[in-house]
Amino acid sequence: MSSHAGAVSQLVDRLSQLPGIGRKSAERLAFHLLRVREDEALALSDAIRRVRTDVRYCAACFNLSEKELCQICADPNRDAARLCVVEQPRDLLSLEASGAYKGLYHVLLGRIAPLDGVTPDQLTIDALVERVRTGKFSEIIMATNPTVEGDGTSLYLSNQLSEFPVEITRLARGITAGSVLEYANREIIADALTGRQKL
Amino acid sequence: MSTDTSRHHSTTAIVLRLVDFSETSLVVTLLTRDRGRISALAKGARRLKGPFEGSLDLLSVCRITLIAKSGDTLDLLTESKLRRRFRGGERSLGRTYAGYYIAETLRWWLDDSERHEAIFDLTLAALALIDGRGPVAETVLAFDCQCLRLLGHAPTTRSCCICGMKIEHGERETSHNVAFSVDGGGVVCAACRPRQASLVMLSHSAVQTLEELLQPLGETDDTSRQVALSEQDGVFPLSSLLPRVGETSYPALRGFVTRYMQSLMGRMLRMQPYLPTTIRSRS
Ligand SMILES: [Zn+2]
Ligand SMILES: [Zn+2]
Repeated sequence: MSSHAGAVSQLVDRLSQLPGIGRKSAERLAFHLLRVREDEALALSDAIRRVRTDVRYCAACFNLSEKELCQICADPNRDAARLCVVEQPRDLLSLEASGAYKGLYHVLLGRIAPLDGVTPDQLTIDALVERVRTGKFSEIIMATNPTVEGDGTSLYLSNQLSEFPVEITRLARGITAGSVLEYANREIIADALTGRQKL
Repeated sequence: MSTDTSRHHSTTAIVLRLVDFSETSLVVTLLTRDRGRISALAKGARRLKGPFEGSLDLLSVCRITLIAKSGDTLDLLTESKLRRRFRGGERSLGRTYAGYYIAETLRWWLDDSERHEAIFDLTLAALALIDGRGPVAETVLAFDCQCLRLLGHAPTTRSCCICGMKIEHGERETSHNVAFSVDGGGVVCAACRPRQASLVMLSHSAVQTLEELLQPLGETDDTSRQVALSEQDGVFPLSSLLPRVGETSYPALRGFVTRYMQSLMGRMLRMQPYLPTTIRSRS
């Protein structure tokens, strides 16, 4: 394994520390980078350097951003009366990809998980409360993950926000469109019944 | 790769812990009825589609299929079907945190693969109460006491834990409190008392409640019957204990049991500060 030259084995080590990359894949990637044109390989290292030096959290919503405010917060066409709360920037990306939401976001940068030592003060909850206090939001949409910890986080937040004149909603859950009731398990059917909507 | 079907094993499990292993895979700590606490790798568990269908969430009860691996290799979870989702997080933080507390105690009480059917049944019963309409404070206290008993850690209440002398309650000393040693593991007689540190004083009625919470609940040792029963919730008659916990004795009992468990485990549980301090803090 460690028969490569020092620099190569160092690169393989680094790559294999990335999520989802095993030793074999790391070696493949390393040899690929040795094979391609030099400027192409260096473009990757430039991109990594830029992402670490230029990207920070948006001052308003904690989305990833290259400026003080992220593209969404800076966009005057977004619906400033709606605020959608998510756990991570990648959750925001998923919601954006749906194209169904035109409001603003707030990224918590995690979820409350006291079993793992993650308490509310480690998230961006103070900033969220401050935004709701000083902003003109009419609806706060809880879009934390539909897990016990995600739900617990939403519940904690709605308690924190209960003193403000905003409507607090959460994402619907239940039966996937295109599937059949007969095959949905009873927990999913229970969710769908709880979250039913007016026709 | 050849799959040896004889090593496939299906059982009911409660999810105690989830740790990210990669983007989509998890290492899951499970409490099972027939294999005790186990850890297994669930590849692709974060995907909605596939053999796990998003069933692996904290405190979920699942029907799982597992391939046991030998040596240091993690068992492999190949399938999981959701039986019951823990819904505390949708309803009350008190119920959610009580559920977390139970998961945390089991992580410390049990060793890997140490089979303990009654603990599994007790846990199912406690979670059903917490996630339903059961009183949170009483359920958690009764759960703790029954765990102590089932694991052989019940504190002594009738004989001095230091010298073994028999102690009668409620006869001569009705006006006095009874001394319990947290580190000694039970009640302490008057003669041993001066030499003991870490004493907790409990009233006679609190000691009586403690004895009731520690009593055997007629859980059966008949394995065939247990397997059939384990498919339902509430096999373990935990709810019969809850009315015994009174509002006045709860804070002292909770305090003693917490300190006693802390002494046995050698640590303070993360979820312990979130436990109800009074019985009135119902949620
Ligand atoms: Zn922003
Ligand atoms: Zn003694």
